Amino acid sequence: MAVRLWDAMERAQTGPYMEADHFIKKQFMPTIKNVVKKYGIKYDRTQPVPSDGDLADKIWQAAVELFLTVGIYNQDTHRIIHFSEAELKEALYAAPSEYIVGANHDQRRFGYRAVESRTRPFVIMSPDITYDEELFFSSCLAYFKEPLLDGICSPLLGNFMGRPMTAHFPLELGGAMHHAMTLRETARLAGRPDVFFVAVGTAESDVGQISVSNDQWGIRAGDGRLCGAITEFMTNNELLNKAVHYQQMGSHCGILPGAIYGGYAGGAEGTSVLQTAYHLQGLMVYGAQFTQSFPFHLQYGTNTGREMLWIVSTFSQAVARNSHLVICSNCFANAGPMTDMLFYEGAAHAIASVVSGNNLWTCAPCRNKLHNYGTPLEARFAAEAAHAAVEQGMTRKEANEVCNRLLALYEDKIPIDNYGKPYQEAYDVLKCEPRPEFLDLFYRTKETVAKTGVKFLY
Amino acid sequence: MDSVEKLLQAVTDGDETVAAEAAQEIIDGGIDPREPIAKLTEAMRILGKQFEDFDIFLPEMIMAADAMTAAMRIFEPVLLASGKSEKKGVIVLGSAPGDMHEIGKNIVKTVLTTAGFHVVDLGKNVQVMDFINKAEEVRADIIGVSSLMTTTMPGASDVLKLLSDKGLRDKYKVIVGGAPTNGEWANRIGADGWSGSASDAVLLANRLLEAR
Repeated sequence: MAVRLWDAMERAQTGPYMEADHFIKKQFMPTIKNVVKKYGIKYDRTQPVPSDGDLADKIWQAAVELFLTVGIYNQDTHRIIHFSEAELKEALYAAPSEYIVGANHDQRRFGYRAVESRTRPFVIMSPDITYDEELFFSSCLAYFKEPLLDGICSPLLGNFMGRPMTAHFPLELGGAMHHAMTLRETARLAGRPDVFFVAVGTAESDVGQISVSNDQWGIRAGDGRLCGAITEFMTNNELLNKAVHYQQMGSHCGILPGAIYGGYAGGAEGTSVLQTAYHLQGLMVYGAQFTQSFPFHLQYGTNTGREMLWIVSTFSQAVARNSHLVICSNCFANAGPMTDMLFYEGAAHAIASVVSGNNLWTCAPCRNKLHNYGTPLEARFAAEAAHAAVEQGMTRKEANEVCNRLLALYEDKIPIDNYGKPYQEAYDVLKCEPRPEFLDLFYRTKETVAKTGVKFLY
Repeated sequence: MDSVEKLLQAVTDGDETVAAEAAQEIIDGGIDPREPIAKLTEAMRILGKQFEDFDIFLPEMIMAADAMTAAMRIFEPVLLASGKSEKKGVIVLGSAPGDMHEIGKNIVKTVLTTAGFHVVDLGKNVQVMDFINKAEEVRADIIGVSSLMTTTMPGASDVLKLLSDKGLRDKYKVIVGGAPTNGEWANRIGADGWSGSASDAVLLANRLLEAR
């Protein structure tokens, strides 16, 4: 893909010039509105997991047209990166459908899954939130103790040597190194030294990311790395620097895009089209090996509400039915640890994702806002629900019924702050395990969720 | 349909060209622009509520705001000439140093503008000194710092520290916001206010200016 990568970089410097405001208002917004109308895409609130393959195909076609028409905007050069239909088709055909990640006994297949596939989902666990420095080691180790963890992104560091992490400042480099070293150390202590990392989320800058690429103590060549997509359909030189570094390293590069419901893409229909199109941005601009999707609601910053499950399900189906790309679906929940609502949200998102052909990344609690508020137990719950749905051969129709039953348990509470307790209150920090009352809630909630139609495996 | 009704419809439809045409017809017809501006402000308030309730989405809100801005470009020289211009206050707004994200800040800018504030948008990844220099240059009342990443939140704190070190802290109200932020953090760093939504940002800005 290196030739294509450099083609993209050249276009990022030499493509058509346009001001960013014009790009959004005169290119992006009207085009997405047009393709949603042209392909007749309609949101149905009764179907959080639609069974309509034709709808998914229309979303894919709309996404392709959007991507080819609008292109990707480089904020730094004010140039648009365009691709031809033939180039896109070639890249879609040439893209591998699976990767063998991790090593030794931690080696796993991270691959394409069809809609309603019986293939096990690949599960990456991460709370996607910052932790206090003194809790970081314990929280990382706690995640590695999760049996269904195939890959880890891990907690993020909020501080380094008692100082707040600051992007684009030397503290970021120190914090990123501390993050990578701790992750490597805790993986070994947990007996899983070669687990696939997607890291490090602590570093925002390209320099911060490059500083942790080290096969001995840091992020290894074959680990996963992420390249964001700036809202909407934008990139910048720093992200392109990351992409080039990851490709030259031989890393598994993932694009990290979150289409915003209520944002420039409009409602559920446009958001699903945009989230689908981001897969093409990753493939063509970053040469990405996978997509890590987190569409989210403008007001709440989450993706477990009714319209968001529809978006999660439809973009997943669109990509899975029309390509063999490797994809992953990231849960952002409203509630916090030690609430039953967080378990319900995680289960609904997991089931909507894996039945629709996606893999799973779970999960960010508390609207991704609160320091230390995240534990591995909610990730375990979602992963168990995902595996159960796949093993029992759940269809989209059945998943739709289950999700509607789960939504009935929490959707009216979404606007309410329900943040539960932080890691150090939910877990025994020294033993890195859930406190008895948290485990009790876990098992009681499993019984409730089982009654919605999920046949847990154990 | 008279020219005021035409203007209101154009703004609701997000049609910049027709809004400017209607505004010019209003001026040519000798109508005091303050009357249609009051109606426009009310229309934008209703659109803002619809946006908050997710009955309409950001594209409709932006197009309406742009149409209103097109009309205001016609009205403002007339208001200035007659001494009737009534800008609520000047706000310098930008994303924190190192933060490449703008959508939240852009929504706040749109809503503040339609509520009658003059917003100077510095864009993304704004350096601490640039916030202060621009505030001095345009004689701002408020400085607004948006952070989408936890690692860019210290940038808002740095704006406050540098204002203090330059002896300018009392000259400006500083408001902060962004997805990972909250009121407790805003209090801790010594900001004058925090808002969790664009509509709350308008209430906050109004309250801070009234208190000056």
